[in-house]
Amino acid sequence: MARTRALMIQIATGDPRPIGKQIVDAVRMKIATGELDPGDQLPSVRGLAQQLTINPNTVAKAYAELTAEGWLESRQGLGLYVAPPRQRLSDAERDRRLDEAIQRFLHDVIALDFAPDEVQARLHHEFLALAPRKSA
Amino acid sequence: MTADHVIETVALSKRYGNKLALDHLDLCIPRGRIHAIVGANGAGKSTLFRVLLGFLPPTSGSARILGRDSRLLGPDDRARIGFVNEEHTLPGWMRVSQVVAMQQRQYRRWNQHAYDDVIGHYNVEPRQKIAQLSRGERAGFNLALALAQSPELLVLDEPTLGLDVVAKRAFLESLMYGNATEQCTVVYCSHQMEEIERVADNLVILERGRLMHMSAPEDFTARVSLWIADMPFKGPERSTVPGLLEAQRIDGLHHYLVLDQDTDFEAFLRAAGARSVQSMPVSLDRAVNGFLAKNHAAPAEKLQ
Repeated sequence: MARTRALMIQIATGDPRPIGKQIVDAVRMKIATGELDPGDQLPSVRGLAQQLTINPNTVAKAYAELTAEGWLESRQGLGLYVAPPRQRLSDAERDRRLDEAIQRFLHDVIALDFAPDEVQARLHHEFLALAPRKSA
Repeated sequence: MTADHVIETVALSKRYGNKLALDHLDLCIPRGRIHAIVGANGAGKSTLFRVLLGFLPPTSGSARILGRDSRLLGPDDRARIGFVNEEHTLPGWMRVSQVVAMQQRQYRRWNQHAYDDVIGHYNVEPRQKIAQLSRGERAGFNLALALAQSPELLVLDEPTLGLDVVAKRAFLESLMYGNATEQCTVVYCSHQMEEIERVADNLVILERGRLMHMSAPEDFTARVSLWIADMPFKGPERSTVPGLLEAQRIDGLHHYLVLDQDTDFEAFLRAAGARSVQSMPVSLDRAVNGFLAKNHAAPAEKLQ
């Protein structure tokens, strides 16, 4: 039985987001939603590159960013693993990022003319569907 | 002595009669990694390689490859450079095994493992004649031969043109995941942006014989943005639009593809009468095509 956990992500060329960013976003999402558990081993740089048919350097950079942000950890001689959950960003940084995301979201929905209650209810519903393992 | 740059040109110019194919080109490609060179037809790519490989003398300026003056390359220098392009110069009647034997004799650093590694992905039999190979098989064969040379520099000129998806993927896999390419620098000329996006560490854009840009692909994409504005009548005169690459009028809205513009561009559009303004990033494909299309002749603007 293989020790590496399958990484079910796709990338799209011709997308405004660079491939490296697509990988970072996809892995982060899988960890945040519990699809990947702490201690799961990720595919090697070359392995993921081959799976996606992309340059291994792109994977290496994405993995480096995820490691720097605390999502992944490197175990000497063994590979990359999902890091145990811990506060990866400072409170101030978390606040700042949440504010930015809220502004982007509001900017996108403001012209749609939904009542604020309805938007909030929809948001709450999606949040629950997305993170089943997180406590409310 | 190893050079820091595998390719180095200083004010390189090449003139054919009235046409300046290379125009004081300053290009430095560092050792290692995969570098993609893009440019419209006539941008000077083919001329550049002919000069670098010593097949054409420059009109002025200098060209160095692997630290050597391009005009003074000897057989030992050429053995350090692998070249794969779409045309094949191998005689159709020769058998695969004969070509391999010929190459083994010619190149001291022949690496049989590298050859086997690549050719193993293709259905190529030693006794087959070159003329009997499919396009994809020929491309794989050329790559296998080039990599088995153990080159320091591998130059690929539109290597996957005309290949079907299966052959294309096999080619890219051999290029990116084989052991042989780890030791060499790859320079890749292509029009296929989808492929470049997957493969390139460095993007080099040539236009009219000059270097227009060199960086990681995503850094180039970040320079280009698309703005859509609702403006009365014709909008600002094209020549006054800063950083303009492309302007279109679609369904009454003005679309502007621009280079190196920030939020000041919104101010410009509003000053020109825009009632609403939105912007977004674009894909590498759109960014490069917009950049290259800018200077090409376009049909006269139709009055709306």
